[in-house]
Amino acid sequence: MDFEALWLTLRLAASTTAILLVFALPLAWWIASGRGTGRAVVQALVALPLVLPPTVLGFYLLVMLGPLTAPGRVLTRIFGHSLAFSFSGLLVGSILYSLPFAVQPLVAGFGSVDRGYIEASAGLGASPWRTFWSVVMPLTRGSLLTSAVLAFTHTVGEFGVVLMIGGNIPGATQTLSISLYDQVQDFNYSAANRTALVLVVISLASLILIYSRRDSGIGRGEIV
Amino acid sequence: MQHRQGTLAFDAAFQLTEPWTVLFGPSGSGKTTILRAIAGLMRPAEGRIVLGSAAALFDSAEGIDIPAYRRGVRLAAQVATLFPKMTVRANVAYGVPSGSEGIVDEALRRFRLEGLAEAVPWKLSGGERQRVAVVRAAASAATLAGGGLLLLDEPFAGLDLQLRDELLEELRSWLAAMKVPVLSVTHDVGEAFQLGAEVIRLSDGKILRQGPVGVVLVEERERLMEQLSRGVR
Repeated sequence: MDFEALWLTLRLAASTTAILLVFALPLAWWIASGRGTGRAVVQALVALPLVLPPTVLGFYLLVMLGPLTAPGRVLTRIFGHSLAFSFSGLLVGSILYSLPFAVQPLVAGFGSVDRGYIEASAGLGASPWRTFWSVVMPLTRGSLLTSAVLAFTHTVGEFGVVLMIGGNIPGATQTLSISLYDQVQDFNYSAANRTALVLVVISLASLILIYSRRDSGIGRGEIV
Repeated sequence: MQHRQGTLAFDAAFQLTEPWTVLFGPSGSGKTTILRAIAGLMRPAEGRIVLGSAAALFDSAEGIDIPAYRRGVRLAAQVATLFPKMTVRANVAYGVPSGSEGIVDEALRRFRLEGLAEAVPWKLSGGERQRVAVVRAAASAATLAGGGLLLLDEPFAGLDLQLRDELLEELRSWLAAMKVPVLSVTHDVGEAFQLGAEVIRLSDGKILRQGPVGVVLVEERERLMEQLSRGVR
């Protein structure tokens, strides 16, 4: 069992989930609270990683974060090193790749909140900020949990993006799924079996956590 | 104030001169739309809404549209929408600023909701939910500095007549004591007589008449009687 890869994977998934939720909440609220071409374009961009081959996203990120492009040079200056083949680069890639898994359950949850609650809150003098936290969020806790668990689990299971952007550097960018790939390449099937089992347990436990909540939204067509 | 929404168009210009004014008219005459426009929950196509001596809440010519939560107006909609994750007490306290919680206990006591204070909305009957929604808006309005305005859309409409009359009387006397001006909506003549020192009669989105309840609604009754007698002949 590669504990170094396990620790790195859990650290990556936890950081990705925490950062994603900060961005996903306002983004999902904005998408859910209106219509228009602008929102449709943003929604399509958010959903793009669902249909794009992970290697495509990884390739563009590798090019963009590398020292040969302007954004890459700016980021290199800020962080003091190139983000390609680093944990920070993995984090950027994971955030983009797991974005739809964090945003879409929240959009579905916010969209299912009866507009009457929001108007009742405004009619009692509550600001949009207070309405969001006091009225909308308590009604969409299940969606928030679903969003967090799916973002975490999806990051744990990433392969294509992390391989493209991070390479396969043990202790630095080698996640559990890449470690599994290496173990199979080495015909070390007993180690591969243990690694695969850990990934299955993490995924299954996460899904049980979601399904065990009645208000998670899953099963009611709230999740894409 | 003008508003277009599908086929609805109304032209309403009025001033509130009494502590309690009733918007009276048949269903579809634009009563609820007027309340929603004043509350800031919908935007009229044209017009001007001014509350007291303060600056305009809405002025299409000047491009002014103050957000609902900054208007100093409280609304109890016709459909009682209680926040489902809060108790009755928490619902009533929602629009009451911290430091004024005493008013929540007073409101619960006055409107016979003490026994339901810790209940969650889904356990209440339709009538109880409606009562809580009205009391919630009234308690919030009672804490507004400088008067504000309470908008009530068919308050207690789902209750039996005796209870409705008792609660309306309690509400009228409490809000008068708290000096909260009210604009309420009804299509019930009895309710208008019970509450309204001033009545604004609406029909098809237009104001037909504004004046004391005894004058406006007696005219209405005579008009209806005349129509009826013509029909009989």
